[in-house]
Amino acid sequence: MRRFVNAKILLVAFIVAGFSISAPAQKINGNSGARSSAPSSPVKLTLPLKDGSLRFAVIGDTGTGSSQQHALGSMMAKYRAVFPFEFVLMMGDNMYGGEKPKDFEKKFAGPYRQLLADKVKFYASLGNHDQALQVNYEHFNMNGKDYYRFKKGDVAFYALNSNYMDKKQVEWLESELAKDTSEWKVCFFHHPPYSSAKKHGSDSQLREVVEPIFLKHGVDVVLTGHDHVYERIKPQKGIYYFVSGAGGKLRTGDIKDSSPLTAKSFDGDMHFMLFEVTGDEMHFQAISRTGQTIDSGVITRRKKS
Amino acid sequence: MKHIIPDPLRVVGVSLIALSFAVTVAVAQKTDNPALAPAPVTSPAEKAAIESFENHVKDYVKLRNKVRETAPKLSKDATPEQIHAYRTTLEESLRNARKGARRGDLFKPDITSFIRRTLKNEFQGRDRKEIRDIAFETELKGVVLRVNYPYADSAEQSEMPATLLAKLPQLPKEVRYRFVGSNLILVDRESNVILDFMPDALP
Repeated sequence: MRRFVNAKILLVAFIVAGFSISAPAQKINGNSGARSSAPSSPVKLTLPLKDGSLRFAVIGDTGTGSSQQHALGSMMAKYRAVFPFEFVLMMGDNMYGGEKPKDFEKKFAGPYRQLLADKVKFYASLGNHDQALQVNYEHFNMNGKDYYRFKKGDVAFYALNSNYMDKKQVEWLESELAKDTSEWKVCFFHHPPYSSAKKHGSDSQLREVVEPIFLKHGVDVVLTGHDHVYERIKPQKGIYYFVSGAGGKLRTGDIKDSSPLTAKSFDGDMHFMLFEVTGDEMHFQAISRTGQTIDSGVITRRKKS
Repeated sequence: MKHIIPDPLRVVGVSLIALSFAVTVAVAQKTDNPALAPAPVTSPAEKAAIESFENHVKDYVKLRNKVRETAPKLSKDATPEQIHAYRTTLEESLRNARKGARRGDLFKPDITSFIRRTLKNEFQGRDRKEIRDIAFETELKGVVLRVNYPYADSAEQSEMPATLLAKLPQLPKEVRYRFVGSNLILVDRESNVILDFMPDALP
């Protein structure tokens, strides 16, 4: 009987923990030595690169058109040469400032020209700096909607508009997730429900609304931006949250010291992320503008009841 | 054997109770998160004010959708040039169609009372400080509050708290609320044209 109780406790602990992840908790402070010169580090892949796996990249808060954004775009293309990812998720703030035709070129098409030429698809979400009509832009694949779902392999992706989470969107999200039988469910949007950055930090009022839905319907991973840093949050109620908001803007030194939320953080340079999904494992690698690996690990999917 | 013929009034009554329960259950299912509960409506006059506001906004949407037909068609995979042409045409056409539009056309006194009270309730308490901070941290450089003219496209847009959106009168997808400092504005989602605004709406 006692053994049975212990087994039950273990099972509950496993369910509560949700996932296992193999990556240490750590904060990388300050400047990584990055400069605005051309990136020079060699490509170092930590991902398994398995046959038939689903591969994608993540960028956030990109749309400045700066030389740093261009450098990051070049580094992404460099990594793609060894890790051919199929598509890129955008965490919003795709274009800062104006949105005239020349801005689309300067702040998006220019920095990612190589990826676009290689037919890499971009799936965007909207941030607080984005105009509504970006949903119609040919390269953002939003199909005219500011929240939408698409599926790749065993993974369902939900792009949300966290700038305007009205009842219609909440109801849509709830009903779509309820009928979704995908192995993995990934949500991405701009404002982070959890963040250790000083500038914005956790958006608790958004969390109050979306987190119960994520928990109820087995969302595995949540990707966000808004804070111009990298942060992997310690699992919250079994869900993995990432802040990836330094794809074109950087807020050096913005991560709070010894935040209880942080599993790993980096505010020394801009970055992008790579993901590889193979069966029950989702591998990730965060890479700086100069090509340094700033975080990596693997999330093991929890069993769904 | 006694054959009982059901009283029609009784049948209607029972049906109404069942229907009312079903509606209650359906509503409860949609809003089972207490944070998304609608704001309490305290009087029939307030209910009428909300309905009237929502109807005026619907009238605007009818007008803008008619005007929209004159703008170039916008596909779901448009070029930046097509997006720009669509937005500028829609903006100009809306301005012409609403010549003489003034502040208070949509935010009439009766609905502003309800909205002010809702905002006051929602922004009360220390736990709501974050919502207030979100509204006030938005950078508003270049934004001029002028009915029938666009919100500057280079300016940031405030995040509208989900819990507040659930409490304000519901809007069709073509129209959105937005904070500009302590002011609440109504904008056309696609053209960014300011339809109306409430000065000092935040408590």
